[in-house]
This record gives sequence, structure tokens and C-alpha cells, in this order.
Amino acid sequence: MNDIRRKLGIVALIAPLPLFLALAYVLPFFGVVRWSFTLPEPGMTQYARVFADPVVQGVFVRTLRVCLIVTVLTTLAAYAISYLWVFGSRTVQIIVEFFILIPFWISTLTRAFGWLALLYNRGIVNSLLQGAGVIDEPLVLVRNEFGVVVGMMHFLIPFAVLPLASSMRNLDRRVLMAARGMGSSRLRTFWSVLVPMTMPGIIGASIITFIFSLGFFITPAILGGGRSVLIAEFIYVQTFQTVNWGLAGAISVVLVLAVGALIVLFLRLTRVEKLVG
Amino acid sequence: MSREYLLSLLKAAEQGSMSRRAFITAVAAAAAVPVALRSTMSFAQAKELVLVNWGGDAIDAYTKAYGEPFEKETGVKVKMDGSGPTEGAILAQAKSGSVTWDLVDVDPFSAITLGAQGIMEPIDYNVVDKSKSRPGFVWDHAMSSYFFSYVIAYDSERYGENAPAGMADFFDVEKFPGKRTMYKWGVSSWEAAALADGASPDKLYPLDVKKAHEKIKSFKDNVIAFWGGGAESQTTMLSGEAAMGIVWNTRAKLLEKDSGGRIKYVWDQGLLSPGALAVLKGGPGGRENAMKFLSTVQDPARQIVMFDMLGQGPANPAADPLIPPDQARHNCVAPDNIAKQIALDMQWYAENYSKALDEYLALISA
Repeated sequence: MNDIRRKLGIVALIAPLPLFLALAYVLPFFGVVRWSFTLPEPGMTQYARVFADPVVQGVFVRTLRVCLIVTVLTTLAAYAISYLWVFGSRTVQIIVEFFILIPFWISTLTRAFGWLALLYNRGIVNSLLQGAGVIDEPLVLVRNEFGVVVGMMHFLIPFAVLPLASSMRNLDRRVLMAARGMGSSRLRTFWSVLVPMTMPGIIGASIITFIFSLGFFITPAILGGGRSVLIAEFIYVQTFQTVNWGLAGAISVVLVLAVGALIVLFLRLTRVEKLVG
Repeated sequence: MSREYLLSLLKAAEQGSMSRRAFITAVAAAAAVPVALRSTMSFAQAKELVLVNWGGDAIDAYTKAYGEPFEKETGVKVKMDGSGPTEGAILAQAKSGSVTWDLVDVDPFSAITLGAQGIMEPIDYNVVDKSKSRPGFVWDHAMSSYFFSYVIAYDSERYGENAPAGMADFFDVEKFPGKRTMYKWGVSSWEAAALADGASPDKLYPLDVKKAHEKIKSFKDNVIAFWGGGAESQTTMLSGEAAMGIVWNTRAKLLEKDSGGRIKYVWDQGLLSPGALAVLKGGPGGRENAMKFLSTVQDPARQIVMFDMLGQGPANPAADPLIPPDQARHNCVAPDNIAKQIALDMQWYAENYSKALDEYLALISA
């Protein structure tokens, strides 16, 4: 009896959050679903456009390409950073913590403009390289896809570091020592022991990064020089500028379904409670 | 519901000086009070109009030029909201069933589209004076309120006395080497491409979008950035990333000043764009007040404040003589300047903009 009451108590305490999310997101989303089937006229025309119109397809392909590049590079960088964070000396750990936490407190806009100042043709990076005689002509580092990838990675690396570091922290370090003790080289230990043991972290970090990257809007708009319209900005354009709510709705529905499928995959492949531990 | 009141209730409940039921009743009562207040306050709110513009410096300018004098004369306060009245945002206001905006600084072509959908109030030309707008810039659902222009700005350090004389020069990187910047949202880019291809200015519309896109496609590698907002166009030009750009004349004037004269601009084949104010149906401040406000916007002296603060060209021709001669060269509708420009066709935009923009964005992103 007491047990049931306790469980009810827990449910009552947790309930407000899902209820709030349902009211604030799920209910309005049904409105979006309705638009996707009814605007400008009832039917599946907008979904046909999502899967056939070269304009929409182009945006999807570009978004997928950018997000996959960002996901792979972010996960690689985050793996190295996590390794330093978990296995480095105390000083290294403090430095890593500092650089992981600081970006959380700086707004997306500020960071995007920061990258612009660093990377544009007369920016700090180009000035240094030209001053050192490494290059003659400034490199085009921003206002293109490269700049977008850099800006997105900077935002996403901390989110990838957390699950990776957690998976490294939770493994039994004696296994690594055993491998070394039995004559395995450092490289072999890394590939055959550390990487497989942290695979749930790698998968988790990749999926989190990929899902987050799909929603990027401001960073690509500022660093992409106007020519890197990704799916989130395209939905904005269809909603506010060209006022094609049916198409905006259909793209949103497809995107939500895709992200939903990814989350299911994420839950299947990793154990979430371990990643936050 | 006041925070202090809630905290005092919480404290009472915690200390046990208030039963749980009494606590819940008190909170519910406190939540109900504002609802009751709101229903009486809606009468008081009729003494207020909400004007939505594109934010930034426009908030101060609209307040000083139009809001403050209107409040002084009529007692009706004009609240400025800088959230940006895009066509989609206005439609969302109307469809939500609770319109909170009265006046919007809107593209006339959006007003044409939204007016056809019955969302905008027709302009009452008994209150608003048609003769205080320039000929050709009178619409059923929007009142001409200012002008700006898409003009060629260039780095005079690179080109010296050799100034570009039109869109053909803008697209000519042999004669004028260097990177370019163009508008991300298409307006002006199609016209520029057509003019560079030799289209006659008086036969520009209907635009041959397909041909314009071919031109832009072969040229886009020379474009360092497609700017999406005025500030972005300024940084791209000021930093020297672009040696030439098609930018708003209001920003070109600032660029000339901020660069100490290094960046100059020309009116040749500038693309004159009308700005307008429109009234939403069912706005909280009421149609009558909104129309009265529009009539005060036509006042030449007030339009001059907008010219001084934002560089916008006055909609009322009677304002032209009020601009001092040394400033008149920055006025996009001064007779000498207007003669060199081509006006954008709002009707064409109302009918074709969405499709053309989709294709343009796909083209520049590819």
C-alpha cells in the first residue's frame, strides 16, 4: 500500500514536466501536422514536394551533408578532449573543464561573430598566417560551408564530450592496464580495448550531435555568407517570408519523425542512465 | 499575480499558519484577479496603438518622428514593437484570432497579398490624403510612408575615379575586379541581373526570372556573401571583404561616413523600393485611430525626422524642399536621384515573389 503511494508521489512530482511539454509542444504540433495536409489545399501535395521538389531536396541534401560532417568531426574532437579530461593530469583536466564550460555561457550570436572576426579575410587567423609568410593570399575560411562547420562544431563539442567522458570514466581502468601488461602496444590498447569499451559513448555522442545539428539556424546564417540555407532556416523562410505553411509543416513533420526515429535508435543502442552518471 | 503575494502565501503555507486548501484557494483567487482586471482594462487600452517595425534604430526614429507628436495631439500612445512584421507573422496574427498589432511597416507587395485575403484594413483615403503620396505609389491596403533604394556601393580605393555606372559594371569583374555582396532575399538581384543583361529599364517587368538566375549562377562565385540584413551588408563592405555591393542606400550613406569616404555609392540603376504602413483588421487600437495616425505620418516635417535619423526618403513630395541642399544627395527620391533609378514593381512581387525566392535560395546555396 505504502509502496503504491510512494510511486504515485513520484509520478505526481515528475508529471508537471511532461504535461507542460505536451501542452507547449505536442498540442501545437498537431496544428502543424494539420497544415501539412490542408494548406494550400487538402491532400498530400506538400509531402510530394518534400520528396520530389529539387529545391526542397537540395536543402535536405545540404543539411544532411553538413550535419554528417559536423557529427563525425565533432565526435572525433570530443573523443580526444574527453580522453584528456579523464586520463590527463589535474592541470590538464582543469584546462579542459574551463574550455568545455565557458562556451555554455556565451550566446550563439556572440560566438558566431567571434568566429567571423577570427576567420574573415582580414581576420586574426589570416593576418597571422600572412604575417608569418605562410600564405600570400588570405584563405577563405568563413562565409562558406567551412565556416559553418567550424561554428557548429564549437557549439556541439561540449554536448559530445559529456557522454564520451562519462563512458571513459565508468570503464574499469584495470582492463587497460591488463592489456598493456600482456604486451599490447599503446595503439593496440587504444583500438582494441578503449574504443570498443567506449562504443556506447561514441554512439550516444554522435546521435546527440547529429540531432542537435539538424536544428541549427543562426550559426549557419551568420557564418555561411547567406549561401548555406539549412533545413531550419528553410522552414523559417517558408513560414515567414514565402508564407507556404503547408510546405513548412510537411518538412517539420518529416524532420520530427526522423529525429524521433534517431532517438529510438539512441535509446536502443545506449543506456542513457549510464551516460549521465 | 504579484510575486510578493505568492511568496507570502507560500511562507504561510510552509509555516502551517495556512491550511493546504486555503493556500490553493488563495492562489487561484490571485490568478483570477488579473483576468478580471484585463476585461476592464481593454477599454483603457483603446488609448494605445501598437506599431510593428523591423527594430534597431527604427524604434527610436518612429517614436520621435511619429509616436511622440501623435500622443501629444491625441492622447493616444503609440507603442513600438521591433519584432519584424513579415508576411507570415502578420498572417499568424490574423489566424490566431487575437490580433495584438495595429500598424505594420510592411512591404507593399505583402500588403497586396494580405489585403486580398481580407486580413488588412483598406486604407481610408478620406482620412489619408492620396495627393500626399507620390504618383504610382498608392495602394488599397497600404499607405506609402517612405522610400529606400538598392544601390551600388563600391570601394573607391580600388577603383579610384572609375565609378561603376550601372548593373552591367556590377557584374563585370574584368573591368572592376574584386568580390561582391548581394541581397540574400532576392529583391534587387533579379533586376540587377536583367539590367546587366541589357534589359531596358522601362521593360524590366515582368521579370525573366529564369534568365536572371542563369546570370546569377554564372556570377555567384564572385559573391563573397549574400547579406541577409543591413548590418551584415555594412560589415562585409567595411571589412573590405567585398569591393562592391548592392546595398540599401540608407546603409550606403552610413558606409560612406563610417569609412571616411573610402566607400562611395551611386544612384545609377538603383532599384527604388517603397516602404509602407498598413493596418491590421481587428487591431486592439481600432481602425479609426490607426487611420488618423496614418494621416499624421504624411506630415512632411515628421518624414524629415525619419530622413535625418534613418536616411529614408520621404513619401510626401512636399517634404523634398525641406531637405537641406548638402543632404539632398542622400535622398533617394530627390528629383536628380530618382531619375537615375528604376522602381520595383510591387504587383509583380505580390504575384511572383515566393516562387522566385525559393529558386533563388536554392541557386545561391548550391
